[in-house]
Amino acid sequence: MTDALFLVLSALAIWSGWRVFRVDSMVRASFQLMVSFIAVGLIAVLLAAPYIGIATIFMMAVEMMVMALFMVMFMMNPAGLNPMVMVHQHRFSVAAGITAFAGLVLAVLLSDLRAQPLPVDAQVVRALGHELLGPSMLIFETAGVTLLAAMIGAVVLSAHSGRYGGSDQGSRPPGLHPGGEPAGRKPDKHGGHQHHGHHGGH
Amino acid sequence: MIPAAFSLLIALPPLMWAAAVFDRVGTGRGATFIGPLRNGAALMLRPNTPTEAPDALNRLLAPGWYLALALVGLSVVPLTEGVVATDLSTGLVLWGACEALTVVVVFLHGWSPNSPLPLIGAYRYVAIGLPAMLLSMFVLIAAALPAQSLSVVEVVEAQRSLWNVIRQPLGLPLFMGLGLAITLRGPFDYADGAELAGGTSAEESGPALALWRIARLAMLVAFSAMSATAFLGGYLGPGLSGPVWLLLKTVAVMAATVAAGRWFARMPPARMLSFIWVVLLPLSFANLALVGIEVLP
Repeated sequence: MTDALFLVLSALAIWSGWRVFRVDSMVRASFQLMVSFIAVGLIAVLLAAPYIGIATIFMMAVEMMVMALFMVMFMMNPAGLNPMVMVHQHRFSVAAGITAFAGLVLAVLLSDLRAQPLPVDAQVVRALGHELLGPSMLIFETAGVTLLAAMIGAVVLSAHSGRYGGSDQGSRPPGLHPGGEPAGRKPDKHGGHQHHGHHGGH
Repeated sequence: MIPAAFSLLIALPPLMWAAAVFDRVGTGRGATFIGPLRNGAALMLRPNTPTEAPDALNRLLAPGWYLALALVGLSVVPLTEGVVATDLSTGLVLWGACEALTVVVVFLHGWSPNSPLPLIGAYRYVAIGLPAMLLSMFVLIAAALPAQSLSVVEVVEAQRSLWNVIRQPLGLPLFMGLGLAITLRGPFDYADGAELAGGTSAEESGPALALWRIARLAMLVAFSAMSATAFLGGYLGPGLSGPVWLLLKTVAVMAATVAAGRWFARMPPARMLSFIWVVLLPLSFANLALVGIEVLP
């Protein structure tokens, strides 16, 4: 039963991982990747790692949702339903893919993986917690803060050029006729008083 | 495990009907008790409308996924001592995964018809749904702290002396915000609002819409059972048997959630986003810190 589940989930993970590169939309690619990760998470549950497995599903659902949203925002592909090519830099990608695959296969074959089943009363979640907040705390906290800084930095750098000029200049749309007053709502810079005074003069 | 799953499946349809009745009470639409059933039957007979170049697969599956997530979420709720459908040492995390996937499913429901109003609803919902989900996770971690376990069974057992709603009074109201968000109602309904002509459901009719509404009701039942378990002591209580207590508490939370959805005004999405990040999330941190200080030996 467990073996059959493992095979089905592995096949699903590989198939949906392959589909990521064959579909023609950012949103579809993101959620195919999510399906792949969900299958991997369920395999982790089978491998007696319930916290890591379910937390993977949880995290990947959030991450892929955010990724789909940001990719659609930055790619200017309205709604992500317009067909587009999802692959680029073919030669480099093929080389990188083969290298990564070979490296991971070597790592799996060369490392000494434990085969004995876990005792029924083993408190795996507690052990994981002690590991994360004990010997491995520095590594995980450093990685976490670095990733957060990288994400914020990437968004700040890429979002600098706003829709109507620099985003730090205040986002004001162009006028309805050349050189005219900006269209739309005016930023409330001087407070409401001058505005009211202007209208009172009429 | 199997008897518990059966009991849940038998209890769910009447509870969903009760939720639909709560939704109708006081709206002046009449036919309070028979109305939801009649409307559902009428929807079943109507055809679904096609849209131009949709993502047909996701459009077909989104309501079913929503219902499935409600069922999986409900399955971690213990019915009485030692009777639970999914006895998992990380039940609270599984519930959290269901919340997160609900945001994805509602987004897909709005994205897949390839139509403007559903798409606006989908994007607005993601912006509000994700922080609301973060909020609920901090609140649930606070509920798990006294139990020193992520298992829902342990969380109930830890409330034998004192229910969490008294020990951490901020928890239940904050968790209710998440309940309003994942059941798409009231102040958190940015997905299916009337101002978007039904939002993510604007293009739907017929059985697909009926299933979507059924799934929303099922999610309300699942959320109510979960908050009754995490904050109101679940099956614990004097006199009556465990499942009866759980049922009473679930119905009470359901009524309170429907009332909250009617009572609170809805803000523009940008203001709601600031409100969640600036007011509600810090409140959940404060709640977590207070509980942490309390359980510190």
